Parts: sequence; C-alpha cells; structure tokens
Amino acid sequence: MILFFLTSGLFLGWSLGANDASHIFGSAVGSKMVTFRKAAIIASVFFILGAVIQGSGTSHTLDKLGSVNAIGGSFTLALAAAITIYMMTKFALPISTTQAIVGAIIGWNFFTGNHTDSITLEKIVLAWIAGPVIGAVFAVLLYIAVKKFKNSARIHLIRFESYIKTGLILVGAFGAYSLGANNIANVMGVFIPAFHLSDLELGIFTLNSNQQLFLLGGLACASGIITYSWKVMNTIGNNILELSSEAALVVVLAQSLVLFIFSSTGLSNLIVKTGLPPIPMVPVSSSQVIVGCILGIGLYKGARNINFKVLGEIGLGWIISPLASGLLTFFLLFFMKNIFGINVGTKTGESAGASDVTSNLTTYGQNDVSGIIKYLLMGLLIFGTIGIIYYALLENKKRREMQRSEEKFWKNMK
Amino acid sequence: MPVFTRTTKNLIIKIDEFFDDIDLGLLVFREGIKAYLDKDMDAFQRHLQKVDYLENNADRLQREIENEMITHSILPQHRSEVSTLIDELDEIIDALKSSLNEINIEMPDIPSSLNKNLISLAETSINAAEELIPAARAYFKAPYTVREKLLKVYYFESETDKLSFSTKKIIFQDMNELDLAHKAHLRYIIHHIENVSDLAQKAADLLSGMAIKIVM
Repeated sequence: MILFFLTSGLFLGWSLGANDASHIFGSAVGSKMVTFRKAAIIASVFFILGAVIQGSGTSHTLDKLGSVNAIGGSFTLALAAAITIYMMTKFALPISTTQAIVGAIIGWNFFTGNHTDSITLEKIVLAWIAGPVIGAVFAVLLYIAVKKFKNSARIHLIRFESYIKTGLILVGAFGAYSLGANNIANVMGVFIPAFHLSDLELGIFTLNSNQQLFLLGGLACASGIITYSWKVMNTIGNNILELSSEAALVVVLAQSLVLFIFSSTGLSNLIVKTGLPPIPMVPVSSSQVIVGCILGIGLYKGARNINFKVLGEIGLGWIISPLASGLLTFFLLFFMKNIFGINVGTKTGESAGASDVTSNLTTYGQNDVSGIIKYLLMGLLIFGTIGIIYYALLENKKRREMQRSEEKFWKNMK
Repeated sequence: MPVFTRTTKNLIIKIDEFFDDIDLGLLVFREGIKAYLDKDMDAFQRHLQKVDYLENNADRLQREIENEMITHSILPQHRSEVSTLIDELDEIIDALKSSLNEINIEMPDIPSSLNKNLISLAETSINAAEELIPAARAYFKAPYTVREKLLKVYYFESETDKLSFSTKKIIFQDMNELDLAHKAHLRYIIHHIENVSDLAQKAADLLSGMAIKIVM
C-alpha cells in the first residue's frame, strides 16, 4: 500500500524529468550540438547525483510552506501536480513543476484549514522573479565574454565548436546536478514528513531516509528524461529564439549557476560569513530561468528574432499551472477524504489521533521500500554495465563498417 | 569528448589541404594556359596531369570532410553551408581540369595576336578565384574579415567580364581572316577561362551570406 502512495510522487518525478530536466540540454539538443541520447544519459546520471547529495536544502522551504502530515495528502498533492504538468507537457508548454507543487501545497492548506506561511510564500515568489532576472543578467554577461574571446582568440571555427560541444556536456552535467539538488524537493518534498525509512548501507556510503526518497524521485525523473523530454527540448531549443552554439552553452551555464545558487547551502554559508544575508534555499523554476536566459540574449542581440508568441504561451502556462494545480488538489483531496475515506491530513496540532493509519502504513512499509531501492540499484548497475558494453561494441562495429565502405569506395574509384 | 579526440585536428588539416589543392590548381591552370599559348606542349601536359591529380585529391578530401562532419556531428548548424562551400570550390577545380582537358582534346588554333589578351584574361579570371581562397580560410578563423576580402573577387570578376567582352569583340569584328567556325571555337575557349571567375563569384556570394550569419 505504501508503494501505491509513492506512485504519484514517482509520476510527478517522471513529469519533472520530461519537462524541467529537458531545459538543461534543450538548447544543446535544439542546436544539434549534442545528441539526444547522450544528453539524456548525462542528465539522468547527474540529476540523480544532485538529488541525493544536495537535495535536502530546498525541501525545508517547502516543508515550511505546508507540512503535509498524512501520506494520503502527499499522494493527492503529488498526483494533482503531476496531472497538471502532464497536461501542460502534452501541449508542449514548458511549465514549472515548482509552481505546480506550490499551488498544490496551498490547495492542501486551504482544504485542511492550515495557515499558508506568507513569509515563505513571499520568499518563494521573490525567488521565482529573481531567478529569470539573474539568469538573463548572467546570460548576457557570459555571452559578451564568450563572443569577445571568440573574436580575439582567432580560434578555428571547428576547434571553437569542439570546445563549445565539450563545454555543453560539462555544463549540462553541472546543470543536471544543480537541477536535481534544487528541484527534487518538488517531487519528494511532500513525502518527507510522512516517511521515516531506516538507513540504507551500500558499502562505501549510507543513504538516510530523505536521500532514499530523493533517489527514488531521481530515478523517476531519469525515466521522464529518457522517455518524454524530446518534445520539450525542441520547444526550448528552437521556438523562442534560434540559438547559436555559443548561445546554447551560455544559456545552460547561466541557468545552472542560478539553480546552484538557490540550492547550495555551502555557498549560502560562505556569503553569510562575509556579512551578507543568506541566499534563500528555494526551488526555483528552471522553466522561468531558461526563458529569462534566452530572452536576455535575445534582447542583447536586438530582440529581432524572438518568437513572442511562444513566450506568451509560456507566460500563460505559468499563471495556469499553480492555479490549476491548486484547484485540482482541492477537489482531489475532497474525493479522497469523502469518497475513499483516506486521511489526507489535518490542521497542524490536531494530527496526533487522526494520522494513525498513516503511521501504520509508514512503519509497515518502510523496510519494503529500502529493500526495493537496494535491488533497484543493483539492477541498474548490472543493466548499466551491460548497456555501456553493448553501446561501445555497437559504435565500434559502425565505425569499422564505415571505414570498410570508404576503403571499398576508393578502391573502386581507382 | 570532442576536445580530447584527434577528429577536430584532422578535419582542420583536411580543410586546409583542400584549400591548398584549389590554390595550387589555380596556379597550375594559369601556367598551363601560358604553356599552351607558348606552344610548349610538354609543359602543358605536365600541368594537365598536375591539375588532374589535384582535382582527384580535392574530391577525396571533399568526401572525407563531409563524412567526418556528419559522423562526428561537427558544426551541426553550419554543416550544410560549409559542405556547399566546399562543393562550390570543388566545382572550380573541376572546371580547371575540364577546361585544360578540352584544350588538350580540341587543340584550338589561337592566333598569336590574341596571346596577350588571353593571358590577361586568364590572369584576371584566376585572380578572382585566388582571392576567394583567403576569404574562405578567413571564414573559419576571422569571419568578420570575410566580406572585405571578397571585394577583390567581385572586382576581378567584373574585370574578367570586360576583358572577355573586348577579346570577343576583337575576334568577331577585327579578325576578318578567321572563318566563323574558328571564331566560335575561340569564343568557346574564352568562355572556359571566363567560367572560373563566374564560379568564384558564385562561391563568394555564398561565403558572404555565411559570414554574416556567423558574425551575428
């Protein structure tokens, strides 16, 4: 049963992978500098690493906004957000998972009569506004620097493109890591208060309860990236502004930096040490940041080739997603509670007696989840190794065949 | 990762080698025409063989460059344009080879009074194509200098047209001792020489557009 409740979170993770994670490599794939297959593998691996290693920072902020105290509530919230995202993705609109989940949490607060912490909400909304603005500024500055370097260094175009291509892969990996760290709270944050898994020993390292949830969420995101992100990658890469290869690199780097800034507790602590106020650990919308970055470059280049129609559609998606998600959550919670009789959470302070079912479910199922994660990792390791060997052999075979056909051609020509 | 492989370096070398072939082909063509007008057939045959070799090598390089760009996904955004440019340049060396071959087969009887005009025509036509090569090289290293380099191509092409026009006028209006078939044959040879600058102009038009796109 506990696994059933997790499915909506996993579905949400899949949606995040299909939608938000595609922003990392969207420009690179859209400009055809990196193949989709390569982009999908790198994004998946680094997203999971970011989620597990650095994902806890932003989850605290969402917890402050609304601490969902029943697993039925977590399930419904994640389901409502996931359905919203899925529907928007279906129409190829790059919407924000952050906004969908925040909308869902507020919907839950309304339904259960909990107070929505306005300070936290203000912090989140401010970060949403600051994200694209900072992204645009970073993008313009980086773009100027790259252009200056390109013009003054007189590097051969092909060599320059090879640097850009390598840069896109490295920066994309960093971007996927930052996205995992920043956005995993959107997927699994609502399950954290309801789940208490025992630590999972994996030889060289140990995963605590939160990290195990983040790992599961990360795997779900990876499946979203691999199975469904192609469509959104093309929207981002081609529709807003036709991107040159260096602009693609700049966009990904600027976006990665913004996501990293809003999820790195280490950086925030460093800033506090210098006497400045701390950076809020807020899950920012990668959709908004990437659009900010692309728009920044477009404006710098004279705003002639920006597709404002697509920008308008994206803007509309931003308004619709939290609203739709909040309303859907409210109605789904109503059905869950009154028709299926599932405890979806209570007003804070009244939860002691009401969440017995949840507690039982959690205690009963926690060992199962840890066991599944362990076997899942083993399976992935085995299949990953087989996949890499198969891919290497296939590439080698293709290269040999190509060489043979080329030799044959020139032999016949002679 | 692309930066750690030798593919990039090899491709740059191949593109440079391709440009060298075209450059050398133009030089040899000029010498071939001079040798024919001087009636030095040994030198002409040597130059013909050299152009033939350079053309074959350029064809091989063209194929390898295009293959490598596709296989290793190099320059995805500019690939088709670079391929077209290389194709246009290859057409120039193809034209050089076919012109020398036509002369070798047809052995046109060129009156010595026309030697100066034809040498001048060949020089100017070849100059137009020669000026294209540094512009094509600059596209890869300093694209913002391409357009100024191309000015010379357009200048020499227009000079070629003028020279061609005046030479044809001499043939058809002043050389009454030649019969019409002879005159038509000479006009045909002039068209061959003139064609080099026309092809250079066509490539220059393409290169000019490519340079704007990459600088923007």
